[in-house]
Amino acid sequence: MGAITAGAKARPAQWRAGLGRLVAGAALLTAVALLPWLSGTDPALTVLRARSADQDPTPAQLAAVREQLGLDQGPLTHLAHWLGGLPRGDAGTSWVSGEPVLPQVSAAFAVSVTLMLGALVVTLAVAALVSARTLYLGSRRRLRQARAGTGAAVLAALPKFLLASLLATVCGVWLGWLPSSGWEGPSSMVLPSLALGVPSGAMIGGLLDQSLPAAFQEPWARTWHAFGFPPGLTARNALRRALAGVLPQLLPTVVGLVGGAVAVEKIFNIPGLGRLALDAALAQDLPPLQTATMVLILLGVTAGLLLQALRRALLGPALRDGALPALHAPDLPRRRSMSWIAAFCGIALLTVVGAGLLRDPLHVDTAARLLPPSPAHPLGTDALGRDLLARLGHGALRTTGVALAVTTVSVLLGLLLGTAAQVSSGLTEAMSTLPAVLAGLLTTAVTGPSVWGAALAVCMVGWTPYAAQTAALLEQERASGHMLAALSFGAGPRYLLRHHHLPAVLPAVLRNALLRLPTTVLVLASLGFLGLGEQPPTAEWGRLLSENQPYLELAPWAVLGPACALVLLSVLAVSGAPGTGQRRHRSSW
Amino acid sequence: MRTTFRGLGAVLALTPLLAGCFVSAEEGSGADGAAGADGRLRVALAVPPVQALSPYSNDATVLSKLSVAEGLTALNKDGAAAPALAKSWTRKNDTTWTFELREATFQDGTEVTAESVVNSLDHANAAETKPRVLSDVTLTARADDADTVTISTKSADPVLPLRLASPALAVLSAKAYQKDGTVSPVGNGTGPFAITKLTGKTGAALDRYDGYWGGKAKASGIDVTWIADGTARANALRGGDVDIAEWIPTAQAKLLDTDIRHEVPSVRTDSLVLNTRGGLFSDASLRAAAREAVDGSALVDSVFGGYADPAQGLFGPAVAWAADQRVEVTGRAKAATPAQVKAKTKGRTLRLATYTNRAELPEAASVLQQQLEKAGFTVRQDVREYTQMEADLLAGKYDALVFSRVTLLDTGDAVAYLASDYTSDGVYNIAGLKDPKVDQAIKAAAEEGDTQQRQQKIMRAEAEILRTDAAVPLVHEKVVQGIATDVEGVILDPRERSLIDVDTHLK
Repeated sequence: MGAITAGAKARPAQWRAGLGRLVAGAALLTAVALLPWLSGTDPALTVLRARSADQDPTPAQLAAVREQLGLDQGPLTHLAHWLGGLPRGDAGTSWVSGEPVLPQVSAAFAVSVTLMLGALVVTLAVAALVSARTLYLGSRRRLRQARAGTGAAVLAALPKFLLASLLATVCGVWLGWLPSSGWEGPSSMVLPSLALGVPSGAMIGGLLDQSLPAAFQEPWARTWHAFGFPPGLTARNALRRALAGVLPQLLPTVVGLVGGAVAVEKIFNIPGLGRLALDAALAQDLPPLQTATMVLILLGVTAGLLLQALRRALLGPALRDGALPALHAPDLPRRRSMSWIAAFCGIALLTVVGAGLLRDPLHVDTAARLLPPSPAHPLGTDALGRDLLARLGHGALRTTGVALAVTTVSVLLGLLLGTAAQVSSGLTEAMSTLPAVLAGLLTTAVTGPSVWGAALAVCMVGWTPYAAQTAALLEQERASGHMLAALSFGAGPRYLLRHHHLPAVLPAVLRNALLRLPTTVLVLASLGFLGLGEQPPTAEWGRLLSENQPYLELAPWAVLGPACALVLLSVLAVSGAPGTGQRRHRSSW
Repeated sequence: MRTTFRGLGAVLALTPLLAGCFVSAEEGSGADGAAGADGRLRVALAVPPVQALSPYSNDATVLSKLSVAEGLTALNKDGAAAPALAKSWTRKNDTTWTFELREATFQDGTEVTAESVVNSLDHANAAETKPRVLSDVTLTARADDADTVTISTKSADPVLPLRLASPALAVLSAKAYQKDGTVSPVGNGTGPFAITKLTGKTGAALDRYDGYWGGKAKASGIDVTWIADGTARANALRGGDVDIAEWIPTAQAKLLDTDIRHEVPSVRTDSLVLNTRGGLFSDASLRAAAREAVDGSALVDSVFGGYADPAQGLFGPAVAWAADQRVEVTGRAKAATPAQVKAKTKGRTLRLATYTNRAELPEAASVLQQQLEKAGFTVRQDVREYTQMEADLLAGKYDALVFSRVTLLDTGDAVAYLASDYTSDGVYNIAGLKDPKVDQAIKAAAEEGDTQQRQQKIMRAEAEILRTDAAVPLVHEKVVQGIATDVEGVILDPRERSLIDVDTHLK
């Protein structure tokens, strides 16, 4: 019976999802097309500046540019003209260079996709390493204690641009193993792929590692073990079961790197799509920006559909037939070391913050520049001779406060949109490949530069991982047998939400959010150059990392302090969070 | 399920193949390691081309840096006009000049004639956005015979020969100018090196042009890579991927060995520009207080890592004649004491702006903030990307700006900078200065034809500007160029117009 109703429902649902994708894509493209008119900054001025840095912005020159580009016609004419050219394979010409856009964008896209695939390989390898132990023990039924996931948290907290700088310096310059920059051969791919893939892999691996014990807890696994099936087979099936919930995370985490790896592209001088889009956005060069956005949206939707198909293939007919057993995390005892780790991180952070708050974070002393750690400056000083301990301490509250607030809003948005997956899946796919910088520009266009602008911009794109996860987990939960039972007993929507949906989704989403906390801190800081967020010289962890990055080799301690603080925060969040993945409300066996 | 995993495996196995095909397309750029072996120079430049190397854009300097194209004249070491495609010239009257051409050929084999010179100048005049160098002059060129060109200007222009040295006025063969208004210098210049291939914004390949009038270049060609990130440029040089890397950021300079690190005083001056038209700094005594509070020499060894000189005025040591003719500044306003500053600002904050495009400026702003706060000001910074704030700067929305400015623009003449930045109708007058004495002094300098007199009048104008405290010079920047030990003959040019010429080669 379940199969029949599902089949009849499927068609309108598909239509709705397709329509959702179309609307989301169109809305995003329109928003981008309006950018030069919304921003309040004359596009003639930015285009002129991009063409020639020394050009005087005389009224006559600006008028010439305006006339040449037809800026007086307004945004809609431009959008229509651009759309009209697309079927002919003509995406217009760049306002800055006057060259056709399509060859540029497609070349950059090819480079970025290649890089992303390299990063994907690293991601999968790292994820496999992170979850290998649980897989091994679980398939042999020797999982006795819950894993803290500290290792994954440490790796996931590593800033990608820092990793990139480090790899370029050590492997590229000191050891000379691989080229430190450029895009000239497969050897150029190795370092950037590592820089992008290691943190992503740790994130994916951490999520997988957390959902595996539940799969091993299912009745089939116990039966197979009792019958003496080889552990490898059990492991493979458990992996299939757990992967289905984690796969959608690849979209924002890895596919999103096609447009969102600007910092790493800069450090390795890779002619990728991220840099192209950023340059176009800053110059308000609309045709390349629109084309890049459209390509990213199409990529997001394609990758989203692909991942969905892969997920359904992994879960098999059980998903469609509503016969999927729900995944229940076992009530494994927490390892004692977990509390110790959490306590250690907490105390270390409190000490740093406490000690730092007693010092002056803004006092510039140009004579005490880049001093190594000493009793006077326990963490050393930065390029302006400011005490790093003080800056860390004073930045702690602001950094974590804003990051937590942004994460909370993003999680709520994600849960909300994830529950309406049929309509919102298109928006999720389109937004997860959109670079945060673009969201930042749209925000500045509307609100102007402001302290809360950065938070708003990150919220705009930050919800996608949670929405994707919620949608995937809910689909599985809805297809499980006990839901049918609950429905037949007359459970209302509110009851279902409280007792089935939320408990199925919340623990995993929270863990995801905690693993992403350091990334949120860094993304917030990365929008500073648009005038969003706290202005310098205010101390803030993300800024500490980016402003000291150039001194990585001369004064490694200047980045070591903030990087360690970020790692501590991440480990504390993950290990100190109460009972992630534990559902006490019912037990199915 | 087995099939699913196999499918996943197959997709991943395809990755290297995909990578292979993208990369082979890129390999043609010619920046591979073997290039250095046959006497080709590998150069890392900082600013990627914006308009496919069109001379009417930012890219013009690339043409002169790599000796691809030339104008009628060139600038010599002292910044005076020297012969290039024109072997001599005479000023017939105030507005008319004649130029005698030398025998030269374009890289496409055609002859350089008076007609081709007129053609190039006409195209520059008619360009959709006029090159900056022509913004304050109207000139017409006429071919008298095959090797004589007469150029007349609407009003007297004493610096015309300097103007013609601008890379924007490079003479290219007729083939370079396309119908749609774009200009392509690829294979169309007259210099010792001809561009053979331009790969987007990533690289270019140049070959020696054997028919160059000044003799054959010593290097057989140049492979250019554009690396926008300063650290990556330094890394490329240290890793041996390039022979020459321009503009090493001061944060990276110390990492280079002393024998590959070369410093050049630059014509860039960093100053604190104060907004005179409104807000806090419309009060002259507060401007004076800011001037006294700010100490640029504190920046030299810290923010600039020693790669700068303490400011002497608007023009630094790179403008050779400035120091000898400097005029003492008199008649400045009396500075307000910290107590007076507190009373006069009435709790208003000083909006201090700067931009992220030059890494040193945000650091400098933090140092200045502390200095200004000591003098009684309350300071709030606003730091953004330059294009994100330019409109606000021109509209006078800030009280002060930490600004890095080239003092000799593409005319090679100092008046252009003074006129656009400090006259009351200047288009780049961020200070909003409206001072009749300043206007008069700049006008006097602009009209002066005699070089010596002109320089004196420029320095008098400098003193007038400094008197108003509209700009407080902080430091004169130095540029660090990274040059591998086996390269000889790289030109260290304070104007950043030349880098490689006929004599540059690998040992």
